[in-house]
Amino acid sequence: MDTVSRVKSSRRRILGTLVGIAASATLAGCAQNAPQDTWEPKGPNAEMIHDLDNLVFPIAYVVGIIVLGLALYIFWKFKDRGQEIPVQGHGKPYMEITLTVVPALILSVVGVFTFRTIFDLAETQDTEIVINVTGQQWWWEYDYPVQPEHGINQPIVTSGQLVFPAGTKVLLRETSRDVIHSYWIPALNGKKDAVPGRVHLLRLEANEPGLYAGQCAEFCGLSHANMRMEAIALSKEDFAKWVANQQKAYVPPAAGTVEAEGEAVYIAQCARCHQVNGLKDAQGKPIISAPDEYVYSGAAPNLTALMTRNTFAGAMFDLVNEKCRADVWGAPSEKFGEAYLKGVTEDCLNQKDLRAWLRNAPEMKPMYAEPNLLGPSDGKYRGMPYLALTEDDIDKLVAYLLTLK
Amino acid sequence: MFTTGSKYFIGLTALSVVATVLYLFLVNPSDLGALALVGLITSAATLSGVSIFTRDSDTETVEQAVDASAGPASASFWPIVVALGAAMVLLGLATEPVVFVLGIAVLVGGGVEWMVQGWSDRASANAAYNSEVRAKVLGGIEYPGLSAVLTIIVAFLFSRIFLAVSKDAATIFFMLVAAVIFALGFVFAARTDLRKKALSVVLPVSIALLAIAGVVSALSGERKQLVDAAREDHFAIEHRECGEEASKYYDKHANNRVPLRKAVIATITVENNEVSAKMIGLDRKVDTITIPRMNSTTVLFRNLDDSERRLVVNLGSAKVGDTDVVEPLGTCTQLTGKGQEQVLTLTIPKPATAEEPFSFTVPGANGEIKLVVP
Ligand code: HEC
Ligand SMILES: [Cu+2]
Repeated sequence: MDTVSRVKSSRRRILGTLVGIAASATLAGCAQNAPQDTWEPKGPNAEMIHDLDNLVFPIAYVVGIIVLGLALYIFWKFKDRGQEIPVQGHGKPYMEITLTVVPALILSVVGVFTFRTIFDLAETQDTEIVINVTGQQWWWEYDYPVQPEHGINQPIVTSGQLVFPAGTKVLLRETSRDVIHSYWIPALNGKKDAVPGRVHLLRLEANEPGLYAGQCAEFCGLSHANMRMEAIALSKEDFAKWVANQQKAYVPPAAGTVEAEGEAVYIAQCARCHQVNGLKDAQGKPIISAPDEYVYSGAAPNLTALMTRNTFAGAMFDLVNEKCRADVWGAPSEKFGEAYLKGVTEDCLNQKDLRAWLRNAPEMKPMYAEPNLLGPSDGKYRGMPYLALTEDDIDKLVAYLLTLK
Repeated sequence: MFTTGSKYFIGLTALSVVATVLYLFLVNPSDLGALALVGLITSAATLSGVSIFTRDSDTETVEQAVDASAGPASASFWPIVVALGAAMVLLGLATEPVVFVLGIAVLVGGGVEWMVQGWSDRASANAAYNSEVRAKVLGGIEYPGLSAVLTIIVAFLFSRIFLAVSKDAATIFFMLVAAVIFALGFVFAARTDLRKKALSVVLPVSIALLAIAGVVSALSGERKQLVDAAREDHFAIEHRECGEEASKYYDKHANNRVPLRKAVIATITVENNEVSAKMIGLDRKVDTITIPRMNSTTVLFRNLDDSERRLVVNLGSAKVGDTDVVEPLGTCTQLTGKGQEQVLTLTIPKPATAEEPFSFTVPGANGEIKLVVP
């Protein structure tokens, strides 16, 4: 091949790649199953952002097309055809004034609406329920402070799925236990960073009961991409049921059952990190977990009502199998609460992933959990370590975990 | 130029200025030593003036001086300025200290200008050369000094307008002013030929307008809100925080707005001997504060009572090491005076036991706030 045709063919290849990227990006915009679509607001705050987008994006498109068009025109018009270099002028004041004033005007129009939206979104005075949201590598913890008007008489701690009443102004108080994370449920509101030592407020409100997916939006280490979350909006009645169930007293499994053996394994292997409220040791003393001694962030998910959630490990895995998952995700708004409140029954449990998790968690989700590499974190794990459990122990544990609901 | 004798006295003046400044800062600003040094400055400065003026009484130079003074001395308005300064000093002694200080400044400024002019007018027989040496000596001080004074005047006039008109009017007005200045800047940048003529019209006109607006606003007084807020003592240190007052301009939700408070999850207040608490985000009093485990959390303590108080957090008790001695756990703020506040940052690893619940208390005040760690 001679040089000219080689250049030509490599040009063609670059062009082909560009067209390919553009086409797939365009097609991706048509995806049907896209729960994190920012263009489909499902609550007042996301709607405010959407309204702003509807104003700003057309302006941006028009400006973008004009600028790009002019640039292309100039590339073509003044392309080097061997002509003489034109006379070099020095500024055209009126042109420059226009080119400064016009963008300034456009930006101030955009600015006025943007600031209004920002202030509206920051409104917190009419909050109806408060939920603390704490990020850590790589899952979210939610705790519901005592709020008797919502039936919350003792704090509720859960993880992965944020359960809240629909049509209610929820205020999230976000913070973090280790590095900066960012809480983002695209269908309900914008992002808000969770910063250690600070409390940031984010308003969530969903129009209808349903499941709204989200994603940690601030790079936070190895498993950042696996730090996901779901916001579960329930009708007010269903939420009251959920609250009541979360505060139910712990019932130990009957002696002699597999579940009771599982409880023993749990106490031996897991209770040092994971709290199960109401769990007591042989002397009848409450068992208090101590994740602060083992985990870098100082926390591990509270498993008291594990089987009332549908996901685990930072909503990375489903706790229910595909069929039961489809029942919840596909449920119409009126039926959603009922489907969700069923929780995880034995025939719905996603045995495969849960067992794999207990067998070797770091293999399922990248975590800094190798004992010989824990120097930088003072010997503490980031995430759940490999625990060398036997298959027999795992059977017992699964049976026991199924009672936690 | 400077005569031999005058150099000596000028040096002495400078030295005594330095000595006075050092003395004021390092020894004692308010005793007779300072006064003596000021006296030294004054006399040394006077002598330098005299010796420059008389050219050290040197006959040869006196001849030159006669030559120089043959030409007409340029008209001087500095005597008037100095007289004004003297009047202000006297007035200031009787009325406001500000007038006195300004008078001193005018007196010194006018005196220096007068002296330098007197000297430069006789520097040679050549008027152009004379004005050149004058500019050489004073130009470096005059322009920065003048622009500083102008800036202060402009800022002062603007601030009077700001204080007098309503907040919205102020915003709109100053946006317009900024836009006009911006536009004029453009026009002058583009049309060089316009610059001189237009500036000589625009500048005096706008300064006159500003002066009129400033004086009128100053006379009409501050806007009502500010007057009211001042009467409420809104700006006094001890009034920074919200109290019982039903006043209009109090920042009632300060803990949701002020940046520092972004880190505060709850505010505990003691007022009229009662302890109360508010959680960020909930616009009502609470009797329980929930703090997630192992989560560095900051609580703000605010004392509105006259007596000094401290916030104490009780976190149960524990055995000391391997002994059987049991010690209460917890921590507290320092004693906090009226209207002041402190923060307490807690990281609590374990929830409370049923026998020993956690709580916040303020010794000497009634009530406690329960602390729940799930
Ligand atoms: C060294 C502390 C530690 C021990 C011991 C431990 N875990 Fe974990 N576990 C964690 C951490 C940390 C996570 C969160 C990991 C993530 O999602 O990134 C976790 C997550 C989980 C989850 C998912 C919970 C959720 O809501 O997302 C389950 C289930 C679980 N662990 C079960 C167990 C069981 C059963 C045992 C005992 C065999 C056990 N763990 C032992 C630290 C521990
Ligand atoms: Cu994250």
